[in-house]
Amino acid sequence: MENEQIPQPPNQLDNFFNITFDTVTRDQIRQAAVWAKVCALCAFVGYGITLVLAFFQRLPTMAGAEGVDFSSFRTRIVLVALLTVIVGGLINYSLYRFATSTIKGMDALDNVNTNEGFNNLRRYFKIYGILLIIVLSFSVLAFLAALLGMGLGQ
Amino acid sequence: MHVDYDGGNILHETVRWSRFLSIVGIIGLAICLLLLALAATALVGLFSSVLPGIEGLDGALLFAAILAILAIFGFVVFMLYRFSTLTRRAIDQQDQALFSEGMKCLKLYFIVSGILAIVGLLGNLYSLTKLFNS
Repeated sequence: MENEQIPQPPNQLDNFFNITFDTVTRDQIRQAAVWAKVCALCAFVGYGITLVLAFFQRLPTMAGAEGVDFSSFRTRIVLVALLTVIVGGLINYSLYRFATSTIKGMDALDNVNTNEGFNNLRRYFKIYGILLIIVLSFSVLAFLAALLGMGLGQ
Repeated sequence: MHVDYDGGNILHETVRWSRFLSIVGIIGLAICLLLLALAATALVGLFSSVLPGIEGLDGALLFAAILAILAIFGFVVFMLYRFSTLTRRAIDQQDQALFSEGMKCLKLYFIVSGILAIVGLLGNLYSLTKLFNS
């Protein structure tokens, strides 16, 4: 019985990095989150204004454009605005969630909320990155098509 | 309060995407600077044809304004890049000072982005007032 191995309690710190959210770091992250919230809220208000402008802004009248169907032009503007609002809203919702969860986590010294906040920041950068890859791919394709068109034209 | 492994992994992936974004931003700004250097006179002519009020403006002043805007955006992407590299190194080396420095860069990134967002919102509100006044 005396030789029996006594099970050691698991070291609680095994699950942790040797990095702490000390007072200075917490303050930096909190301020980052507050400004991120400002960015997200400004974006939401901006999207509202974009929709109002898309629906109600007077279209420019052009001389000699009597036969042009301006209602379809308006529809296209509204569709582009709606797409912008949906995609931008999705991105900025992640930023807003980052801000609120991180502020909660920093105030309450809570790892769960802090991780959720940083997970939303990851999602925010990821969506931006994927959109950027799509836009860059289309730009390269357009550039190649233009080069090809110029080559065929000659 | 320590960074746990879930948090470390999330931060690791976050900085991977933010580094990609910052590198693309730096390349984009470098292309803009190159265009500005190569075609400055043509760009001033283009701007004065698009914005009629700008004709009286000195070309050098316009050039300086464009440079200032590029410098602000350059600061934003540089802060994002510093956040990415410092936080990644902090997690790999488990270095508290680097982690704190990385979070400071994230704070600066969001402060400048927030100020730019407020300026953009003011521009949007100006467009809205023009709509109701017309």
